[in-house]
Formats: sequence, C-alpha cells, structure tokens
Amino acid sequence: MSASIEHEVLDARVLTVSSGENIRKESDFEAITERIAAALNEDEAEATASDELSPVFRELALPKLPELKRENRARLLMQTPNRVYFYWSLKNNPFQILRRAFGENTGSYTLVVKLINETRNTEQIHAVDADGNWWFSVEPDSSYRAELGFYAPNRPYFRALYSNTITTPRKSPSSRVATEADWRIPANKFAQVLDVAGFKQDAFDVAITGDDARHAQTASYAAFGRLTERPASDFAGFDADDIRYALTLLAAGATLEDLRFRISDELFAVLQSAIELITREKALAALKAEFELGENDIIEEYEEVGPAVFGSSLVNFPKRVRTRSRRIDQLNKFEPLSSHTFGR
Amino acid sequence: MPVGYFSLILHAHLPFVRHPEYPEFLEEDWLYEAITEVYLPLIFIFQTLHEAGAKPRLAMNISPPLCEMLADPLLQERYTRHIENLLELAKKELHRAQTEDPDFVEVAKMYVDNLSASLGLWNDRYQRNLINAFRELQDEGVIEIITCCATHGFMPLISTPEARRAQVAIAVTNYKKHFGRQPRGIWLAECAYEPGIEDLLKEYDIEYFISDTHAILYGDPRPKFGVHAPVICPNGVATFARDVETSQQVWSAEIGYPGNDLYREFYRDIGFDAPFDYLEPHLHADGNRRHLGLKYHRITGKTVPQNKKGAYIPSLAREKAAENAMHFIGERIKQAYLLRETFEGHPPLVVSPYDAELFGHWWFEGPQFIDFFFKKLHFDQSEIQAVTPGDFLDSGINIQRQQPTASSWGEAGYYKVWLNEGNSWMYPYQHDAERRMTDLADRVQSSKFQVQGSEPYSDVEPGTLKLELAVRIANQAARELLLAQSSDWAFQIYQGTTVEYSSRRFQSHIHRFDLLAKMLEQSETPASMGGQILSTEQLELLAEIESRDNIFPEIDYCIYASSDKI
Repeated sequence: MSASIEHEVLDARVLTVSSGENIRKESDFEAITERIAAALNEDEAEATASDELSPVFRELALPKLPELKRENRARLLMQTPNRVYFYWSLKNNPFQILRRAFGENTGSYTLVVKLINETRNTEQIHAVDADGNWWFSVEPDSSYRAELGFYAPNRPYFRALYSNTITTPRKSPSSRVATEADWRIPANKFAQVLDVAGFKQDAFDVAITGDDARHAQTASYAAFGRLTERPASDFAGFDADDIRYALTLLAAGATLEDLRFRISDELFAVLQSAIELITREKALAALKAEFELGENDIIEEYEEVGPAVFGSSLVNFPKRVRTRSRRIDQLNKFEPLSSHTFGR
Repeated sequence: MPVGYFSLILHAHLPFVRHPEYPEFLEEDWLYEAITEVYLPLIFIFQTLHEAGAKPRLAMNISPPLCEMLADPLLQERYTRHIENLLELAKKELHRAQTEDPDFVEVAKMYVDNLSASLGLWNDRYQRNLINAFRELQDEGVIEIITCCATHGFMPLISTPEARRAQVAIAVTNYKKHFGRQPRGIWLAECAYEPGIEDLLKEYDIEYFISDTHAILYGDPRPKFGVHAPVICPNGVATFARDVETSQQVWSAEIGYPGNDLYREFYRDIGFDAPFDYLEPHLHADGNRRHLGLKYHRITGKTVPQNKKGAYIPSLAREKAAENAMHFIGERIKQAYLLRETFEGHPPLVVSPYDAELFGHWWFEGPQFIDFFFKKLHFDQSEIQAVTPGDFLDSGINIQRQQPTASSWGEAGYYKVWLNEGNSWMYPYQHDAERRMTDLADRVQSSKFQVQGSEPYSDVEPGTLKLELAVRIANQAARELLLAQSSDWAFQIYQGTTVEYSSRRFQSHIHRFDLLAKMLEQSETPASMGGQILSTEQLELLAEIESRDNIFPEIDYCIYASSDKI
C-alpha cells in the first residue's frame, strides 16, 4: 500500500468497519453529488423495472411471514436451567369456551397459564390472553409442564390445554457416583478432576459438600438461614446447589446484582429482601460454620469470565471462582461417609 | 504408549447462501473468503504435511450446507471470478508497493504468491471442487470427516421427532453422496444436546457426537476422568467433550494467541482504506466498499488505534506462529502429565474443537500454527499422540457409561443465544412449519395425490395432483423448512450482525414453505369444495424456488412422514 493512500485514509473515521464511503476531499463531494442526482433518476428507472418484474420475482422479493392459523398451541422450551419460555394460542375465544362449559355462570373464572414443577410439586399461575408467551423463572434439575386453564379463587381449576414436558438440567456436577466399581470416584478425588478440567468453582463446591448429598443439602439450608437470619426450614423448596452457588459467589466478593439471572428468581428475591444482611464476610462465615472451611480455604476472588472470543463465535467459558487449590486435597469432612469408602 | 492423546476437531460450517437471482451478492463473500483464507490453506497444509510424512491426524466437520455450496457449479464459477479479481488487485498492489512504499512490499508479495498458489490448486488440482480435496485427505488417513445436522439446525429447539430425525437422516445421506461412506461422528450444531438426541444418532449408525464440557462434567453419574475421556450414553453412542484450557489458549480474546501484536489486524482492509476510484473495478456493481481480504497491518497493540497500526511483516508473524505452536505443545505435555497423575495412570484425552473459520479468516496465521503444531508433534516429541475420536473408540481403552446433560457450547452454556427476547418470535413459525411438514408428507404419501400420468400437471382435476408434481412440491417444502431451521439466523440476530439479512432469510424460507404447502392444500381440495388446480404462475413459482434453494437435490420428503409410518 502506498504512503499516499495512508496519508489520505489514516483518520479514525475511516477505520470503523462500515460499508459507507468516507468523504475526504472536495472531489469526493462532487462525485457523490453527481451520484445522488443519478440515483434520483435511477429511482424512476427502478420503479419502471420493478413494474416489469415477473410476478414470481416480486412474490419472492417481498417475503412476509404468513399469519399463523388460529390453533391450539402450547409449547414449552428450555432456555437455561433457570429460565424457560412458553408460547401458546387458543383456536377459540376463551370466553366462548367458558360459556360453553359453564353456561352463563362463568363467575370469576379467568384464563391463566400455569407452570407446574413436576419434580418438586410446585406451580405458578398468571392471568393471560388467548395468545401470548411468557418467560418463567425455574429451578434446575426439574421437570416442567405448562398448562392453559380456567382459574377462579376458591373454585376448581380446569385445564384446557397442556404443553410438552421439559427437564431443566442440573447446573452443577451430579452427586451420584457410578455403581460399577471401576468408575467410582469419591468427592475429594472428583474435586481434583473438576479442578484440572478448569471448573474451579464446581471443584470447590464438590470438595466442601463431600459425598453425603443429604448432609450437604441440610448444611446448605442452614448456611443460607445463617446469612438471611431465617430458619433453615424456610428454604426446603429451594435447590441446595443453587443456594451454595449463591453463597460461594457472595463469599468470593460478588455483589447481589451479579447473581441476578444466575440463580432462580425466587432465591434472588429472598436475598434481595434481606439485602441489608448480605455481606461477603457474613456469607463466608455461614459457609465456614456449616462446611468447616479452614483459614487457608478462603475463596480469593470473584472473577467473571465472559464469552469473548476471536471471530464471530460466542463460545462459553466456565464460571470461575478462584480458590486455594489445597482446599480440595485437604478437605475430608465427609470422607467417612463417601460411597467410595462404603464400596470398599 | 504416549502420556496423553490429543484430538483436534475443526468445525467447518457456513449457512447456505446462494443467490442466483442476483449477479453478485454481498453475503456470498462469506464462502469465498473462507475458501481463500481457510479451506484452501488448510487443505494445502494437510496435504503437504502428509506428503512429508508428518502424519497429521484430526477430525473435521464439513457441514452439509458447506458441502452443497462447495459442490455447486454456480458458486464455483462465481468463486473463480472472485479469486481472479482478487489476484488482479493483489498484483496491482504489489506494483504500487514496489514503486511507492517499500514497507508493504513483503505483505503485497505474500498476497500475490498465496493467491496464485490458491488459484492453481483451485483450478488444476481440485477442479474447482474442494469436496474432492477433503475426500482425498480422508482417504489418505489425514482427516476423519464427520457430519453435522443437515442445515445446522439447533436440535433441542426443533419441536417434532420427525423434524429432528430429518436433520440427522438428510445429513447422513448427504455425507454418503459427497464422501462415499458412512460418517462415524456428528457435530451437533452448536454442540446443542439434550438427553434423547443420541437415540436418533444410533438410528443412523452414528458412533459419537461432540458436546460441550459440562455435558459430561455435569452428567450422571460423576465422570471419573472428567472431560478428559469420552463417555458412552446408555444407548451406546459416545460423546467427546471440549477441553476448556485449550479453548481459552487459542480462542480467548483476552489471553488467546491470535491477539499477538505481530499478527495480522483483521479490521484494516484495503476495501475501506484505498481510494474509491482505485478500488472501483474490483468492487461489486453497486460500488459499495467491503472487506476485500487484502490487509496490510499488524495488530501492533490492543490499545493502538486503527490509524496507528504498523505494517504487517509476514516473516515475523510466521516466527510467532511457530513459537505459539511450540508453546501450545509444551502446555499439552504439561497438561498430559498432570492429568495422568490425577487419573492415577489412566491416559487422558484432550479434545479441542474450534470453528475452522477461526484459522485463517479471523486468525490469519492460524493455518501456519496448525502446520507447525503437527510438524513439532510428529518430529520433536513423543508424549502426545494426535488421534481422532474414531481412533480413540478403536483403541480399546475402557469408557465409562453416563447420561450426559443438556448443554451447548454457546454463551452461558445452554440455549440462550438461540432463544431469547430478540429471536423467540421465530419459533412459533418454525414449529408450525415442522408440524405442517409432517402433515403434508403424510398426505402426499396417501393416495389422494397419487394420480399417475406422463404430464406432471395438465389435465388433472381439482382434488388430485400428479404424483411427480406433488413430490416436487413436498421435497421443496422440506428444503425450505430445513433452511429456516439453520441456527445461524437466530445466532446472528442475537449477536447483532447481519440482523436484517438473517431475519429476511428466515422469513423467506417460512414464506416459501407456506406458499408450497398451500399449493398442495389447494390442489387437494375437490372442486366442489373450492379446490383449484395450480395456475401457470404457481408452477413458475415452484420452479423458481427450486432453482434458488437447490440444496440437497437428493432429498426425499418421506423422512418427514409420521414416525409410526416410517
């Protein structure tokens, strides 16, 4: 490339990637003015040409989405372990359906969408229109089904339409150890495996929870109770992994806002309602009290690892909280209860 | 036995972009740039390594849409025009540099040499069809080519079992057409997986698929060797998951090799730098500036503004690529020892999947890095052995059984890139077309349309349609559905790049599907109930759609028939 080109182009405006041409000198303005004049005429020519286009070309040149036929639709889609999307439509007017079902005595019945957590036997209900969509906050590792139905306070609920069932994945390692002897791995060893795979936060979590999933669950509720100054039993309906995930991030210095959309909305709401009680020190103290963290096992730093990669991809890199690596080797609180030990 | 195994997997995919209705089309450049910068250099390097006895070994996915574009005569002809035009510009540039600016002579000469060599390979060695090149490399034992979902459809967001099956079945048929054998593995588009997809893979004799790290790490039960060994799903299909460390080393915008100051700067391009009059003969007829692929500057520094970038020096960049390759291997050896110790003697496998287009397009020196990597791997060490997933399955090393968990390799690890507030509007239309396609396939298979005759159209009554024509319409409707399902459109809408084109493409395919479905529906209805025979204009429309969206000429709509009818 010549020096003369460089002199002409080396200003910041030129270097943003744009299909627009850069105007640099008077002759450019003249040229562009001429092109505008020509384009004004071209419009007419194009309009004429467009008239001459075949109907086939015109049909394909103007793509439009067809109007979706009014039908009964109910589709549930998983977006993340904490979020699902539901869209629906009803073929017939819901009020006509109501009248057909109840006669004139439709009372206070209204059309609702209901999301049912089949794993935990919980549900949420929202009043809706005959067509629409809804984003639900959900729990990981649970099966869900959505319904459209008619709801009235203190009266029976009637289902009109139901969706496919989906299962949200767990967002942490399984607590289950293989039954075949060759593939068994105790928690402390598995934590090392996760650590070398780059999943530091999960390694830390597996190390502190050990092999006794039930005990870890109880300890998680208790730790969360300490943080929020509420009874542990208040959190029995929450996912224990989600709770520990929140506690670990908070103990690592994450703010409450950092947790938004990373934990279930319900858990986030609990934390938000106790915001004056939430500090890094308190989260760490709660973990230490219930999981016997030592002084050397302090979580060092919260570090966001974004998806930024070269090129046009958006590849996921794992969540990461830096910890002292010796944590994993030293922790043995639950070792006597590990399935590995039982196996021997 | 080596200390550890390493499996490089390149995912080569571009959406099907072919616009015969226009003499030139901006988005067709995606293919042309990739041929020049990625596919030809990689093919050349693999072939040269093979001939030098360096025994490179890797897996490569050539997606079905990419195969179809590489084999398409129109695109082959247009690419020839593209590279000839680029070579002409490069020669003009070399002359300018020699006479006006010696700082850029080396890089200008590099482009002339590279493009001349590429044109020779393209025309003479491979007769303008790179499928020949990839097939040859597979037959020589260099690459294990795996397939991909037929149009890179995001499997977990496809609503019917028939439409999911079609993404696999059509891909396998297409692979056999191009490569003359059964594929051993599949790249699930975006590594998007949910439990149950493996059943479809088994149905089509696929032995393994590629998944993201947490598919295995969060799978059930706990994987004894983490992500550094494959697992076998309960139904016997294996999965190999991505190693994070190697991903970050190569791919991270923060710490990855491609960000080195000596490497070529992607965003400084002659298409935006040179005066318009000088460039005009090399632009499209619309005169719009665009990336032309001749880039003369190095990254220089992450904070250095674009107008302060230094000249690119190919020889220094090449040295850096060699240095990075050596570092990469050193890190692999360290990693292998650490993993082997952690695994108490079990040999680890590090699986490194990347978009192929990273190497050469985004990271210009990427092919050189791969070249140095395989040379050093073969000649300078013995701790690491390059294998393909197929090789690993053949090795006889025990593999744990496990149910992997739902995941993708996209941002945040699940489906939000392809399903979010900005693109969720697409799914009711896509799902509606999926349901209609099966309904349509069932009806065409039924006797209603099966009126035999030599003329495909004339002399039929409303309520009937000649079989040949009904099949043509059904096959084309299947193509339109498949093209609408490309995950590329939702991805680009989320990412904010080419949003207008991507939205338009999705709308076009849904629109065309609807036109075709209505042709069948209208013809099926008896005259007494308002049915009509197809008009001449509708027949022209069918022919035009067929000529534009000509992917998968071998397609058979029957794959969409209700599952219980297959």
